[in-house]
Amino acid sequence: MFIGQDITRVDALDKVLGTAAFAHDLKNNTMLFACVVRSSRPHAMIRKIDASAALALDGVVKVLSHKDIPGENLFGAIKKDQPFLAEGRVRYKGEAILVVVGVTEEIARKASGLVEIEYEDLEYISDPFLSMRSAILIHDGGNLLSHRKVIKGDAGKGFESSDVVVENTYSTTWIDHAYMETEAGIGYTDERGHIVVASSTQNIHYKMKEIARLLAIPPEQVRVVQATTGGGFGGKLDVTVEGYIALAVYHTKRPVVMRYTREESFLGHTKRHPLYIEYKTGAGKDGNLTAVEVNIIGDTGPYISYGETVCLRAAVHATGPYEVPNVLVNSRMFYTNNPVSGAMRGFGVPQLALAHESQLDEIAERIGMDPLDIRMKNALKRGSLTATSQVLHHSAGLLETLKGIEPFWRARRKQGPGSGFGLGCMYYGIGNTGISNPSSCYLTFTPEGRVEMHSGVCDIGQGSDTVLLQILCDALGMEEMGIDLVRGDTDTSLDAGSTSASRQTYISGMAVCNAAQKMREYLEGQGYYSGKPLKDICREAAEKGLPVFKGHFDPPTTAPDPETSQGAPYATYAFATHMTEVHVDEVTGVCKAVKVHAAHDVGRAINVSNVKGQIYGGVAMGVGLALMEEFIPGKTESFDNYYLPTSMDMPEVEAIVVEDREPTGPFGAKGVGEPALIPQAAAIVNAIKDATGVRMRQLPCDIERLKLALEKNKIK
Amino acid sequence: MLPKFASVIAKTREEALSWLSSLENPRIIAGGTDLMVKMRAGKQYSHVIDVAGVPELLTMTETDGRLSVGSAMTHARLSTSEPIIRNARSLALACGLVGSPQIRNMGTIGGNLANASPAADSIPPLLIHDAVLVLESKETRRRVPLEEVIVAPYVTSIDRKELLGSVEINPLRGYREGYRRVAKRATWAISRLGVAFAIKEDKGRFTDVKLAIGSCTPMPFRPKKVEDLLKGAEKNEAIITEAIRMALEEIKLISGIRPSYAYKLPVLKGILEEVLRG
Ligand SMILES: Cc1cc2nc3c(=O)[nH]c(=O)nc-3n(C[C@H](O)[C@H](O)[C@H](O)COP(=O)(O)OP(=O)(O)OC[C@H]3O[C@@H](n4cnc5c(N)ncnc54)[C@H](O)[C@@H]3O)c2cc1C
Repeated sequence: MFIGQDITRVDALDKVLGTAAFAHDLKNNTMLFACVVRSSRPHAMIRKIDASAALALDGVVKVLSHKDIPGENLFGAIKKDQPFLAEGRVRYKGEAILVVVGVTEEIARKASGLVEIEYEDLEYISDPFLSMRSAILIHDGGNLLSHRKVIKGDAGKGFESSDVVVENTYSTTWIDHAYMETEAGIGYTDERGHIVVASSTQNIHYKMKEIARLLAIPPEQVRVVQATTGGGFGGKLDVTVEGYIALAVYHTKRPVVMRYTREESFLGHTKRHPLYIEYKTGAGKDGNLTAVEVNIIGDTGPYISYGETVCLRAAVHATGPYEVPNVLVNSRMFYTNNPVSGAMRGFGVPQLALAHESQLDEIAERIGMDPLDIRMKNALKRGSLTATSQVLHHSAGLLETLKGIEPFWRARRKQGPGSGFGLGCMYYGIGNTGISNPSSCYLTFTPEGRVEMHSGVCDIGQGSDTVLLQILCDALGMEEMGIDLVRGDTDTSLDAGSTSASRQTYISGMAVCNAAQKMREYLEGQGYYSGKPLKDICREAAEKGLPVFKGHFDPPTTAPDPETSQGAPYATYAFATHMTEVHVDEVTGVCKAVKVHAAHDVGRAINVSNVKGQIYGGVAMGVGLALMEEFIPGKTESFDNYYLPTSMDMPEVEAIVVEDREPTGPFGAKGVGEPALIPQAAAIVNAIKDATGVRMRQLPCDIERLKLALEKNKIK
Repeated sequence: MLPKFASVIAKTREEALSWLSSLENPRIIAGGTDLMVKMRAGKQYSHVIDVAGVPELLTMTETDGRLSVGSAMTHARLSTSEPIIRNARSLALACGLVGSPQIRNMGTIGGNLANASPAADSIPPLLIHDAVLVLESKETRRRVPLEEVIVAPYVTSIDRKELLGSVEINPLRGYREGYRRVAKRATWAISRLGVAFAIKEDKGRFTDVKLAIGSCTPMPFRPKKVEDLLKGAEKNEAIITEAIRMALEEIKLISGIRPSYAYKLPVLKGILEEVLRG
C-alpha cells in the first residue's frame, strides 16, 4: 500500500542537496543570452524604433522584432490574441517589443538599454469603470471581454421573501505570484534539427504548440522539457520566456539562455485579477439563505490570458459552498491598460470567498446566529443542488470540515483586546470549467524488469510526481516502488494538460489508473500475480518489443448554459473550512494571524505530507492576500515595494484532513492545491471584525487601511 | 547588474585613512547593505574601501562615563551587547529590529548613520543618547553631534575623505527606555514609524523625558519643546494630551501635511500615549 503513506517525495533529495537543475542551471558558457525590451508606456503607438546603438555594441548578435517572426505573432492559453512582440502598438507597461541577443547577459542587457523607442501616447485606460465608458477601444471588438451569468430560481422573489437582506461592495487588487524562481529557460537545436526548449513551466505540450505556431514548423519538430520549477501558482501557464528563446535559437542557430530579473518578472508576467464585487444576500430569520445577487466587475488587462476562465469560474462559485435556491450573478471582465491579469491559484474564487464569507457573517450577526451554525445550516452536502443546479452525487465533505473545526471554534477564548476569531469556507470545482480537459499518459517496461511511467505532468513543487507514482504502485498492486519515472518532456510523454485548476491528482491520477488497469490485465496474463518475477516477464517481452499501455481520462462535465450557466461544470468539488485567530494592534493597525485551523476535504490524501504542505503554503498565501500583498501598476517594481509575508508573519497552522472519498477519482482523491488558499483571507477578515468591530471590504487590509478604518470607526 | 569598480580592503584605521586621501572618488563600504543596493541600481563608485574588518572600528570602550561604539559594529552585535543593553536599551532594541538576521549580520551602525535615511532605526535611539560622531581624515579629526551631521534626508556633512570612526553616547541609567517601531510586516521591512524614548519618573512626576521620532519627518528628530514641557511636570492625562498635541504640531510645522500623515499621526499619538503613560 502506497496510498495514504507519507512517501518521501521523489525530488526531495535533489532539492535538499541543491543538485536539482532549475532552468538557469542548465546554461553553459557557449549559450547566448536573450533579453526583452519592454514598453515603458501603458498605452501608445510605437512611432519609431532605433536599435542601431544596440546593434553597434560589441557582442550583440541579433535584435529581433515582430518582423522576424516566421509564423503567427499571437499566443494565448484560451484565445490567440497577445503578440509575442508588439506590432505598432503597446497596451500595457511592460509589453514585449524586441528581443536582444548577446554573447553575455551583461552585453544583452546593456544593449537593450540602448534601444530608443519613440511613442505616441494613447489614453491610459486605468480601470474597468473607465474602460466600460471609454470611447477608446483597446481592441476593435470593444472593451468588454466577457460577460457570464448564473441564473437559478428567481432572485427578486427570493429577496422579497427574505427576513434580512445584506448588501455590500468588496474589492481586491493585483497579486503577483512571487515564485522564488523567476521565469527562465534555455533552448538549442538538436541533432535532428528540432528546436528544444527547457524551461520553468506548468505545461509543456501547450508551449510546444505555441512555439510551433510562432515558428511555423510542425509541433513534432519542437521539444519542450520542464526543468525543475521553482513555483508556478498560475504565472507560468502562459508563454513566458519560451517563445523568445525559440525565436532566438531559430535565428542565431545557437543555444540561448534567458532569465528574467525580479523586476522584469514583476513587470512582465500576469497577475491575479482585481475584482470589484457588489454582493446582496437574503436569508430567513432561521438562517436559511434565500437569495444571492452578485455583480462582478474585473480588470483583465489588455489581453485575454485566462480572463474568460476567471470570469466564469468566479461566477459559478459566487454563492460559496451553500445551498441557495435563488441566484443571479453577472460577471464581467473589461480590458484595461494595466498588467495582463491571468491565472493565479484559485482563478477568481479567493476574491469571491472574501465576499460570500463576509456576507454570511453579517447575516449571522443580524439574526443573532453563530457563524459556525449558519454555515452548517446552509452547507452543500451529498444530494445538494449547487448554484448551477448540479446535483452533488458523491464526495461533498463540507459538513465534515465544519465538524473538524467545531471543537476549536466552540472552545475559542479571546486573549484580551485585539483578539478575534473568524471562519472561512469554500468549495472549488476540480479541473477546467465545463470544458474537456483530458490527461493522458503511457506505461511500459524496461528490459531490466522495471515499470516505466511516462508522464507529461509538470510537477511545480506540489508533488505530483510522487503522488502519481503512489497511485500507479497501488493500481498495479506492487509491493515495492519498482517504477522508473520519465517525465516532463514532450518527446517522451503524452499531453497531460496543465498543472492548474487543482486537476493533476484527480485527472492525471485517473489517467494513470486507466493505463495501470491495462497493464494489470497484461501482467495477469503473464502470471505476475501468481508469482512470476517481473524481470522474466520483461526479458521475454523485450524480444517481441515492449508493450505500451496508454491511459486517458477526461472528467465528465457539461458546458454551462450560455445564458444561465446552469449545468455540471465540474466532475467533483473540494471543500474546506478555515478558522483563523488574529491579534490586531489598534494603535498601529498591525494585524497578526496567530493561529489557523484548516480542515480540507480532499477525497483521499494520497500523500498526507503533500496535502499538509499545500495547506501550509495556501495559508501563507492567504495571509499575504488578506494583509499585505498589493501590486500597484506603474509603482511596484520589486520586493522592495511588494510585501510578501515572511516566516515571521506566518500563523501556526493545524491541518485537518477530511476524506470523503470521491468514487470518480483515483482511490477516492480530489485536489487541494488552490482550495488551500481560498478561504484564508476571508477567515482573517472575519476575525478582524470579531477583534475590532470593523469590517474590511477591501484587500489587502494592510496596516494603513486597517488603521484608517479603525479611526473612522472610533469617530462613529 | 553591478557596475565595474575597484576595491581595497583596509586592515587598519591608518590604512583606511590613507586610501581615503589618495584615491579618487573613494567610497567606504562596511556591510554593504545600503551601498550594494545603490550600486546595483546603477550608482558608480570607482574605488570602494572596505572597512568592515578594521579592528579599531570594531571595539567598544567606556571613558568618562561615555560609551564609544566602533562604527563597523553590526546591528546583530549591538543588539546583544551587554553594555548596550545596560546603557542604551533603545539602541539594542532598534538594532535588533533592523531588516532580517542576514541584514543585521552585515549592516553596521556606521553605515546606518552615514546613509542617513529618515527611517534608519538606530538614529532615534542615538538622538536620545546625545550621540556624537567622531570623524577623521588623514589630516583632521572632529567630533560632531549627530543632529548636526545629518543635514537632509540621505545627506550628511561627512566629507568624502572622512571616516566615521566611532559614535559616542551618553549612557542612560534608571530610565524607562525603549524603542517602538511600526512596519508593514513582522520583519524585513523598513520602519513606517519609530519612537525612541527614555523616561524618568519620581513620585508621580516626570523628572526627565527624552523622545526621538523617526520615519516621520525628513530627518529623525527630538521634540525638545515637548521634552521641556514634561520635565518636572506632574504625570496626568492632561499633560500627556498636551504633550502629544505639541509633538504633532511640531511635526506639521517641520513637514507640512503629507498624505502619509493620515496614517502616521494617529499611530504616533497612540504610541506616545502608551509610552508616556508607561
Ligand atoms: C533588505 C534590507 C532591509 C533593511 N532594513 C533596515 C531596517 O529595518 N532598518 C534600518 O535602519 N535599515 C535597514 N536597511 C538598511 C541598511 O541595512 C542599514 O542602513 C545598515 O545599517 C547599513 O550599514 P552597512 O554597514 O551595510 O552600510 P554600507 O552599505 O556599507 O554603507 C552605507 C553608507 O555609509 C557609508 N559608510 C559606511 N561606513 C562608513 C564609515 N565608517 N565612515 C563613513 N562612511 C561610511 C558608505 O560609504 C555608504 O554611503 C535594510 C537594508 C536592506 C538591504
